[in-house]
Amino acid sequence: MSRISLLHQAGALRAYFPQSTVKRDGEQSLIWVGKLQPSALGGIYTVKLHYSRKDGVAVYVLDPKLLLAKGATALPHVYSTPKQQLCLYYPPGNEWNPGMWFVQSIIPWASEWLYHYELWIATDGKWLGGGIDHNPPQDKSINQQDLVDGTT
Amino acid sequence: MNTEIRQQISQVLGGMGEELDITQKQYEDAVESYKAVGDWLSRDGSPLASYKPEILPQGSFLLGTMIKRVHEKDHVDIDLVCRLSGLTNGWTAYDVKMAVGDRLKDSGTYAGMLLPEGRRCWTLQYAEDRGFHMDILPSLVGENYFVLMERKFSDMEMENVRSLAIYITDNQHYNYFTSTNPLDWPLSNMFGFASWFKYRSQVTMRKSFSLNESVKPVPAFNRKKLPLQQIVQILKRHRDIMFDGDDKKPISIIITTLAALAYNGEIDILTGLQNVVTTMHNHIEHRFVPSTGKRHWCIPNPVNPTENFADKWVDCREKENNFWIWLKQVTADVAAIADQDNVPSLKKSMERPFGDNLVKSVFEQAGHATRGLRESGALYMSAGTGRLGASGRTSVPNHNNFGRRE
Repeated sequence: MSRISLLHQAGALRAYFPQSTVKRDGEQSLIWVGKLQPSALGGIYTVKLHYSRKDGVAVYVLDPKLLLAKGATALPHVYSTPKQQLCLYYPPGNEWNPGMWFVQSIIPWASEWLYHYELWIATDGKWLGGGIDHNPPQDKSINQQDLVDGTT
Repeated sequence: MNTEIRQQISQVLGGMGEELDITQKQYEDAVESYKAVGDWLSRDGSPLASYKPEILPQGSFLLGTMIKRVHEKDHVDIDLVCRLSGLTNGWTAYDVKMAVGDRLKDSGTYAGMLLPEGRRCWTLQYAEDRGFHMDILPSLVGENYFVLMERKFSDMEMENVRSLAIYITDNQHYNYFTSTNPLDWPLSNMFGFASWFKYRSQVTMRKSFSLNESVKPVPAFNRKKLPLQQIVQILKRHRDIMFDGDDKKPISIIITTLAALAYNGEIDILTGLQNVVTTMHNHIEHRFVPSTGKRHWCIPNPVNPTENFADKWVDCREKENNFWIWLKQVTADVAAIADQDNVPSLKKSMERPFGDNLVKSVFEQAGHATRGLRESGALYMSAGTGRLGASGRTSVPNHNNFGRRE
């Protein structure tokens, strides 16, 4: 795996999403904010991708405030319901590394998460997107470790 | 309106057709069960064996338009024909009906399942786990029947289709006990109707098929239905929800016939459904009937124009009224569905007409299908919007959503 330069990542993000904004701090970090609509019948969501070499990737839904399915007390497959921070891949599984383009991995996964979020609401709480469950407290340290550039 | 939205609504409606279908297990159980009945009637030692009895599906099972019941525990009816040929020994319709009934009563298996004789049918009531009962209509075919079956179907050859009619046993018919000439017995043309329906459902493809193909003893269980089949399933479901348990509801043969006449080869379910509900009334004729001196609504059987599927409307105004009320309602409901532009409102617009649980399972299946596409590398995302679909700029790689599920 060779790391893709953030310069090129930023270029690809702009090319795919001309209406979005990308801020880059050299090769240290990158913030992308853009709109995703997972399907023609889907809502339009403002999504932020924050990458740093130190802390890895974090993805947030900035807007709108997400709803909860009937009977649910938190969103499915998130690191944080209040922050609307999405869990998009399984860190120990090497599913993402900095040799992958955001536009071909994290962004489609975010759109897919939103698609399944809408069905999660429509089906009163069935998550149909697959994935692996975890208990946040004990996995916290693993997450941080594995999210860091190059260590997985 | 946005074509992508229409396409997505169409997919949801197509998914509803799939959810309405009987399950493959139910289908296989039914085929196994009726083959066993056929075997019992035709095996060596059966008094019927020399007349080559065959059990063949008819009705919605044959058309591929069968749907689940609103209350899923209720049994579904499977309509079958017991077809005899080569009868030359001077039997009346009564003799034929009794011979089939007696043979069923001779079986340790079927004797206990057989319900009292019906007007035209013998009914076998299967156990709970099978979830169906079978109506078996004893009947007889004419001499040239099997030769005709090899012919091709086309608009020019409706005569061939008409000759698929078979002689049936009806214990209220005036010569049921007396006539040994089947030409005097009532006729029914369920197989001709099935051929016609298949032809209408392929109206854009104009595929030639032999009549035999459309009335196979075991119609293929096809999860992927043709648009017309799905449209009929959706309309029947709407009717079932609207008239739950009311025996004066619009009958399936009327809905099926009018839908097939109105269908214009649309590939897209939403467009097809909109066309069908808004134009099906054009195929109901208002005919002057000399015997009553009045005009009556008439929905002729396409393979037997002297038969009027709406004949019960004359004596029962409620049946007629229910049809018009239903047509008005389904037209409004389909229009409302076509107007939606987001998942929650689309779901809501479908719930009252089609039932909450069914609609929920339709969206659930959509989720499974999308996940399946991604897992097989066939899900793509469009640049600019982030929309997912079977095409787009970049494929969605496999991954596992990680995290807590509450």
